[in-house]
Amino acid sequence: MNTIRTKHRWEPYLWLLPSVIMLAVFVVYPIILVFRLSFSEISKSGVLGGFVGFQNYVNAVNLPAFKTVMLNTLFWVVSVVGLSTLLGFIIAMVLNQKFHGRKIARAILVFPWATSLVVQASVWNYIIKYEYGNLNNVLLNLGIIREAINWRSSYQIEFLWECGVGIFVTVPFVAFCVLSGLQSIDESLYEAATVDGAGFWSKLWNVTIPMVRPSLTVSTVLNIIYVFNSFPIVYTMTKGAPTHKTDTLVTYLYMLFFYEKQKGPATALSVIGFLILCLCAGIYMVSVMRKEEE
Amino acid sequence: MKKILALLLALCMIFALAACGQQAAPAEQPAAEAPAAEEPAAEAPAAEEPAADEITLDVIICQYGPNTQEWFLGSGMNGTNFVDKFEAENPGIKLNLEVVSWNDVYTVVDTRIAAGNAPDILNIDVFANYATDGLLLPVSEYCPEELYNDFFPSFIAQSVIDDTVWAVPDLASARAMFYNVDMLNEVGVEVPTTWSELEDVSQAIIDFYNGEVYPWGIDMTTDEGQAAFAYYTWGNGGGFVDADGNWAVNSPENVEAIKFAVDLVNKGFTNPNPATQTRYDLQDMFAAGKMAMLIAPNQLPTYVADKGGTINMATANIPAADGKTSSSVGVMDRIMAFKDDSAPDQAARNEAIGKFLTFFYNPENYVGWVSMEGFLPAVNSAVEALVAADPSFEAWLDVLGGCQFYPTAKAEWDQVKQGVIAAEQAALTGADVQAELDALQAQLG
Repeated sequence: MNTIRTKHRWEPYLWLLPSVIMLAVFVVYPIILVFRLSFSEISKSGVLGGFVGFQNYVNAVNLPAFKTVMLNTLFWVVSVVGLSTLLGFIIAMVLNQKFHGRKIARAILVFPWATSLVVQASVWNYIIKYEYGNLNNVLLNLGIIREAINWRSSYQIEFLWECGVGIFVTVPFVAFCVLSGLQSIDESLYEAATVDGAGFWSKLWNVTIPMVRPSLTVSTVLNIIYVFNSFPIVYTMTKGAPTHKTDTLVTYLYMLFFYEKQKGPATALSVIGFLILCLCAGIYMVSVMRKEEE
Repeated sequence: MKKILALLLALCMIFALAACGQQAAPAEQPAAEAPAAEEPAAEAPAAEEPAADEITLDVIICQYGPNTQEWFLGSGMNGTNFVDKFEAENPGIKLNLEVVSWNDVYTVVDTRIAAGNAPDILNIDVFANYATDGLLLPVSEYCPEELYNDFFPSFIAQSVIDDTVWAVPDLASARAMFYNVDMLNEVGVEVPTTWSELEDVSQAIIDFYNGEVYPWGIDMTTDEGQAAFAYYTWGNGGGFVDADGNWAVNSPENVEAIKFAVDLVNKGFTNPNPATQTRYDLQDMFAAGKMAMLIAPNQLPTYVADKGGTINMATANIPAADGKTSSSVGVMDRIMAFKDDSAPDQAARNEAIGKFLTFFYNPENYVGWVSMEGFLPAVNSAVEALVAADPSFEAWLDVLGGCQFYPTAKAEWDQVKQGVIAAEQAALTGADVQAELDALQAQLG
């Protein structure tokens, strides 16, 4: 028995090795590289210079658009993750009911999630076009409006559209995560709650939410990361225009790096974003794990 | 202990996910994109074991249109392609040629430079950053004299820094005002030549079509807002630089010009969202009969025809401020060669680059390329054949002769380009033009 144990002690590590190598090459090494770049002087065409300390970070924080971009990013992440979680939860509750066409409804829900984000953003760009967009055409033909509406009349509204598209593509993911949680709830729990005189809200609060909390945790943490890092929607719809007023951190640092050639500050922003993300997701995970322990 | 371990593992997972979410940050892109940049190498003949004295040139060409790829790598050159034909005529030189879209080319090139893998030959618009970083070879080291003398001197002059020519022009396009002839006739107005006439004509078009047609198109997007800056400031006696070639972005003429352009937007004479509606959006509106006038490159008729539009259009000078001279805008792209200290025989490498250029600019090849892409030539030897093929080229060559070009030879051009676009976009949201341009000028020192 002892011999067998000794013989197989290395086995788990062997199986883990490919993943560890992949992570080291494709995740850890690039992270180290970005950290190194953020402390180096980088020329406009990308030639690496010497160590400059925190100069890139100071320059990044002093950029005129920095505050706007950070506030946009906060609004973007909170609104998209928050609203898509709420809507996804409601849709999952509906899809968990028994009704005709439930399978078709579930299949349709996958579409926004399964389609490429660039395609989604381009299609929405077209839908809300003032001149010959589908939305104006439909509303005009139905007689709901008399003349075409400029759906992108200001940058604030354009940014809200981007958030809207973000929510639209994120909802299905939340809905499916929650749905998988809902399906695993034992029916007898609801029966017992009914016997105890619990109504809809009481069952929702005391049975459903506690039981789907693990699914919600996973979807929320993943969404915070994905939405924070999301690039295609903002880049396709406005490219941050006007003057970075609709940029989020990721699109802003891309513009800074490749268009404005301010490569040092851009890499510093990249590191700042990475640290913020680790902090947010970390705090959320720790708090949820603590609650689960309680 | 187990809980701590679980927490650590969970944090590791976040760490990994945060690093490789949906989109890697640009600084991380080089690693992610490098294989893609090198992909064609696997397909190109260069993948074969090279002979001892064989030279392989890495070439990046920008995608000008749907036919570029076919012409260089497919069968768009009378059944063959540029690479095959070149290699057949130049034994001992292999081309590892890649056609890259304009959207990606800056990313690809910057990535390759950062990875120490710059191409041997690059076709792009800008060159100053590469030259000032000491990455480029002077043209005199590889361009045969006969070919050098064939380039339009005014074009060559655009690629000079410190009396050294760093790139050669590959082609050019010129911008002019296009207008819908039928619309202007229907409204009963003359073609505007000055800013005040432009406003009067725009008002007449608005009144006649009840606002259904945009009289004028403006693109102040991140893609081409610098062109808008050029159109209006050059038409008001201003510009990016002063008479001595020093940056002068906040001159009174420039401030007045940008205020005028933004006023056109505020008065409702233009497309409603100039900060996000690109030149292509404007061209689509023009092709669909929703826009009466716009400034566009010489390829507009081809573009409109490809879109199925049947607009009766004509060209005119870009309207200038009252009492000022109209100035056309020339846009020119370049071909440049990068240094490669690792090449064993520098003289042979330079000679191979020279052969590439000689082959490319040979009228037999070059005329087909320029006319296929609908651009204007950069060498004298192509003019005759092009005018014979399409007489309208002659008028455009005259326009090109009087064009002003962007000051791309100045190292701060990237910053100025993005800066003037930002100033325009800020002005569109109500910011003070003078303050915006003053701030940009202050950054330039």
